[in-house]
Amino acid sequence: MASRGYEAARIMEAGNLKGGGGGGLGKEVHHGHGRTAHNMSSSSLRKKSDLSLVSKVRCSLLRALLANLQEIFLGTKLFVLFPAVPLAIAANYFHFGRAWLFALSLLGLTPLAERVSFLTEQIAFYTGPTVGGLLNATCGNATELIIALFALRQGKIEVVKCSLVGSVLSNLLLVLGSSLFLGGLANLHKEQLYDRKQADVNTGLLLLGALCHILLLMFRYAVNTGEKAVDAAPTLALSRACSIIMLLAYVAYLFFQLKTHRQLFESQEEDGDDDDDVVSEDEPVIGFASALIWLVGMTVVIALLSEYVVGTIEDITLGVSLGSATQISMFVVPLSVIVAWIMGIKMDLDLKLLETSSLIMAILVIAFTLQDGTSHYLKGLVPLLCYLAIGACFFVFDSPTDLNGITDQNNGIDAGGLTTTAAVTKSY
Amino acid sequence: MASMGYEAARRLEAGNPKGGAGSRTAHGHGHGHGRTAHNMSSSSLRKKSDLSLLSKVRCGLLRTILTNLQEIFLGTKLFILFPAVPLAIAANYLHFGRAWLFALSLLGLTPLAERVSFLTEQIAYYTGPTVGGLLNATCGNATELIIALFALHRGKIEVVKCSLVGSILSNLLLVLGSSLFLGGIANLHKEQSFDRKQADVNTGLLLLGALCHILLLAFEHAVSSGEQAPDAAPRLWLSRACSIVMLLAYVAYLFFQLKTHRQLFESEEEEDDDTDDAVAQDEAVIGFPSALAWLLGMTAVIAILSEYVVATIEAASDSWGISVSFISIILLPIVGNAAEHAGAIIFAFKNKLDITLGVSLGSATQISMFVVPLSVIVAWIMGIKMDLDLELLETGSLFMAILITAFTLQDGTSHYLKGLVPLLCYLAIGACFFVSKSPAKTNAYGRLILSSIPTH
Repeated sequence: MASRGYEAARIMEAGNLKGGGGGGLGKEVHHGHGRTAHNMSSSSLRKKSDLSLVSKVRCSLLRALLANLQEIFLGTKLFVLFPAVPLAIAANYFHFGRAWLFALSLLGLTPLAERVSFLTEQIAFYTGPTVGGLLNATCGNATELIIALFALRQGKIEVVKCSLVGSVLSNLLLVLGSSLFLGGLANLHKEQLYDRKQADVNTGLLLLGALCHILLLMFRYAVNTGEKAVDAAPTLALSRACSIIMLLAYVAYLFFQLKTHRQLFESQEEDGDDDDDVVSEDEPVIGFASALIWLVGMTVVIALLSEYVVGTIEDITLGVSLGSATQISMFVVPLSVIVAWIMGIKMDLDLKLLETSSLIMAILVIAFTLQDGTSHYLKGLVPLLCYLAIGACFFVFDSPTDLNGITDQNNGIDAGGLTTTAAVTKSY
Repeated sequence: MASMGYEAARRLEAGNPKGGAGSRTAHGHGHGHGRTAHNMSSSSLRKKSDLSLLSKVRCGLLRTILTNLQEIFLGTKLFILFPAVPLAIAANYLHFGRAWLFALSLLGLTPLAERVSFLTEQIAYYTGPTVGGLLNATCGNATELIIALFALHRGKIEVVKCSLVGSILSNLLLVLGSSLFLGGIANLHKEQSFDRKQADVNTGLLLLGALCHILLLAFEHAVSSGEQAPDAAPRLWLSRACSIVMLLAYVAYLFFQLKTHRQLFESEEEEDDDTDDAVAQDEAVIGFPSALAWLLGMTAVIAILSEYVVATIEAASDSWGISVSFISIILLPIVGNAAEHAGAIIFAFKNKLDITLGVSLGSATQISMFVVPLSVIVAWIMGIKMDLDLELLETGSLFMAILITAFTLQDGTSHYLKGLVPLLCYLAIGACFFVSKSPAKTNAYGRLILSSIPTH
């Protein structure tokens, strides 16, 4: 979703902005101080709110309310997509075509997700770095998580698996690839560097996740071909054990990022970055209570739209960058397995052969691409083309229609087609 | 086994202290000169022998013998495990439970393997660097090799394959992971770096070994799915050819380490290394004939205990309710590597990661490129049909483990998360083998049943 990209380093930004409740630090002071990737990334989509119009309103309560609304709804360049939200709800009740419902819900989710990211960032000002970081880490994938949980509840396990894999793939290949490619073209004769330690941490965790999936796949294959014998059907127990291991790794990763090695994740500052359009994020712009209320409200709307999305399509892909891929792989996936366990649904970590091999190859490609700390446009083009190849594969891939619970084949578009379409729509 | 880790760079240490028989160079003299990873790692488990008590014994001959004994048996912190050796032998003759025999034999192997490493190191003082290095390289894996040969002899090919794969996995993921993890936590705010060239050499060789296994697996799959025409001979032939290739690579690796690029493998010395407990390894502490005699004797005892282990593995599996493959892949290597594991962790605590890497990676390389192909060749000589084809799960785990280790080590720095990831990978792989069992039948060419009693 829109906000996903921000989530990649959002965790860290919470650590830096120790603004505290309402402490108005001068904009210039903390200008370059510990602004993280998330910080800078999200600010590129914000608009400085021009409060001059609102300040003409005489009644102060009304003015506060309108200022609040303006911050929330007009504070992003994506606000043009906001009308999709009520339209989607209307489409559900007036029984527009299912495809319309799907498209409108997707469009509506985009600005909502971005606003959720903004709100969690605002809340982080009040709660301090660690809680703020944790909040960001969890809420950042709120949309994925909500979609996954709804799909689970409806028993559409394959949708969950495919959407999560697709998310990781699009994060790793599509977003990263296109960014590196376009960035490389734009900076054709400059040296492009980055700190590879951060990439290494993420790559290591992604490989751990991939190992768990591969183990499951090989295990199932070995049992089927008679290489190994099992007492009962331990694939489920094994998946659950691996999910717990992955969650442990995720907790350690959070601890690593937020506490002990925070300096690895802070980005380089440059003073020439701020122009008129970018909001300096050193102080909260809305109150804590207000932020919390909006956050809850928007999450509810996201849940609603997600329900429409899940109800209307087979596969969803969403996503943005490397940190996001790690979060999805090491947090959302094992959490889904655990939640399914609690719900009594038999979800395991076993993706199919095609998905698992695509995943491992994508991780390998990215790991090699990022391993030396420099970049150029060809480094972006390679993952991008990989994504096209994988997309083509899934486009022609026809899922059998008797997968648990998946029976809608809306408008004759098959699962693979929807994966590719959704991915392209969602990622920007 | 215990000594394996030391062997990783043991070869080099032999080159430096050319003490010669009985010449006593001052302790401080060659102190920092070319002390290798092995040297330092093994010294962490040694104890300086306190000879004051013995010097009171009047008879000179008795004193010498007792000194000798004290060096041998009490010279390691693992000496508490020594009683397991006679207990295991007693267990065999008094017909204790087979599972007991298995457990006691395993425990007894640990200090024995460590002592063998100590003895080869002592002998290396007398024989000079190259022979010493080669001796260390070969004897370092004595325990693994002996267990493998006994298992081959009894036709338990799966045990051989599983225990060797398990040894590699345990070295790469468990030993390395736990060392980096604990070392990272202990040195939380220090910069932890190591020389990645050594890691690269080992990783390259491990990948070659993995390639051979994968080729075998893919070949078998291609044959069974009809891509390649089935032919009875090639699989075994292919395994033997790959084994020769792997042994060639190993010889080249030895040449690289001992002759041309020795400087890559020597660790940095620091003068503050020696605490009261670490023995300065610049001179031999026992005589050459004595060391040789003890070496042969201990190897014989190792052989006896290995025989017990191999014979009772199924009984232990039945009695404890876990599969033979789990015991071979997980339990055997953990117990066997215990001493080297402890050494690696201790050096990670001291932020000497080059030693940790030398111990764990070097050990993995030796098993993969030496013990495995050697087993195939020896099986060939024995007329036993062993091939390099591990099964899908083992091969996949091996390949992923090598990849993850390679990526972890590729930038030359470390922190605790870099250790936690391989450790968790090992847990996941362990869980996988815990729930799987080998089917109790003969399934394909070259895969014999483990025992006549079906396991669960």
